[in-house]
Amino acid sequence: MKKFLILILLPNLLFAELLLEITKGSENPYRVAIIPFQGTNSSVNIIVEVLKSDLIRSGEFFILDEEMLLSIPSNIEEIKPSEWKLLNIDFIVLGNVIDEEPFSVVSPYQIYDVNKKNKIRSSTVFGIPGKLRQLSHYISDGIYETVTGIKGVSATKILYVNEIINSTDSDYILYVADADGANEQVLLKSSEPIISPAWSPDSKKIAYVSFETGMAKVFIQDIGTGERELVLLNDNQISSPAWSPDGKLLSLTLYQDGNAEIYILNLLNKNLTRLTKHYSIDTESSWSPNGTKILFTSGRSGAPQLYEIDLTKLNTKPSRLTFEGNYNAKGSYLPNNEGIVFPSISNCFEVL
Amino acid sequence: MTSNNKSIISYSFIGLFIASCSSVQVTEEAVYEDSIQSIEVSSKRAESSTPTESKAVLANATVYFEFDSFNLSSRSIQALKSITMLMQDNSEIEITISGHADERGTREYNLALGQRRAESVADYIELKGISRSRLTIKSYGEEMPMIQGSNERSWARNRRAEIN
Repeated sequence: MKKFLILILLPNLLFAELLLEITKGSENPYRVAIIPFQGTNSSVNIIVEVLKSDLIRSGEFFILDEEMLLSIPSNIEEIKPSEWKLLNIDFIVLGNVIDEEPFSVVSPYQIYDVNKKNKIRSSTVFGIPGKLRQLSHYISDGIYETVTGIKGVSATKILYVNEIINSTDSDYILYVADADGANEQVLLKSSEPIISPAWSPDSKKIAYVSFETGMAKVFIQDIGTGERELVLLNDNQISSPAWSPDGKLLSLTLYQDGNAEIYILNLLNKNLTRLTKHYSIDTESSWSPNGTKILFTSGRSGAPQLYEIDLTKLNTKPSRLTFEGNYNAKGSYLPNNEGIVFPSISNCFEVL
Repeated sequence: MTSNNKSIISYSFIGLFIASCSSVQVTEEAVYEDSIQSIEVSSKRAESSTPTESKAVLANATVYFEFDSFNLSSRSIQALKSITMLMQDNSEIEITISGHADERGTREYNLALGQRRAESVADYIELKGISRSRLTIKSYGEEMPMIQGSNERSWARNRRAEIN
């Protein structure tokens, strides 16, 4: 049985800097106390501040206010579990920051489980001086994974496009930023639309659709060097890039057949393999975590619905996955074969 | 660095000792940060390769579509008839057909939908005896709305194919 979830992401376009706000989290958050880290005040303040907001943003955590702490243990041995039970605290985080700018910044930290009366994690993050936020994101992901059993995403990065529409001309800016929206940097600025940015699995490259040549074309750009190239040279539109998990293949939507069809491009030898053959729209391909299946949107039933192709059985008909609602599109697989996520429009076309 | 490594090793021993019944994760991580290059492209939109002076007669029209549809309405067909007649009488006219979608739905599906709308227009014109080589087809999906706004009136104006 597959689980279907609906994902809503609301970037606040009024601010130049991206602001991601989760307005409601888990009903039953893990209750955590963060003991003020020991070390240089300025560094400690930034690290703990970012750590708290990372955990709260995940929606899975409640962080006890510092004023509510009944005691400040300086190490695991000084923790009195009964005291923390009173405050209903499940986990305690202790740590310190050894800040030797400009040479190194190191932060060892521990997580104590109040119910088990045990230390459940002891870890050290070796940071980059001047990049304390990054260091906090690593600590936050360590806490998230230890407590929830799921990998955290605070140390990851996001790609997004900002459109500045004016009456005479427009600017389209492709940005990369930390998962919390901080540390925003421009990857591409264009006078024409940019859509569908996609990370390569090693996060060193991105693929995206740019209209700079006058029609939709897929480019690959090296994030570190800024080098970019058109993935294919032809006279037709190309769109919807998605990287295979090993980074060697790129699935694309090609329009050379007079209609949107999905192909797989081998990035080394530029060989193309056609995946779909239908007179209706087939687009928005995405790869399963093990690379053996492709999920895509097709209009073959009369409205957009999600379908799946098994790459090990290329000659069989794609199987339809969604039946409820008349607009289910742009699906992607969850890791560990837990299901798929996709935006869905209800019958009244109000929600995306 | 070596002293740090030593302290980690001793941590792990303490960890195993205290938590003999449950496991303790003892790890080390180094923050990894890529360098990032930003680049800028600007393009003058080359709408037509034909020099303007040779275009004595201009073929311009906009036709509109229903939600998630690329069928031509009878009104659209009237507009396309006059375009086709113009092109029959003026063999030098070449046109670009740009398909568009409203903001609802996903960007890539809308890009494909806009392309289908442009194709519908092209198919009709071709059916009336105009060579496909005189037609350039493209889609902007939902990226170039004619008017801004999230209401039925704006959406109806934005679901279109522009001929010029």
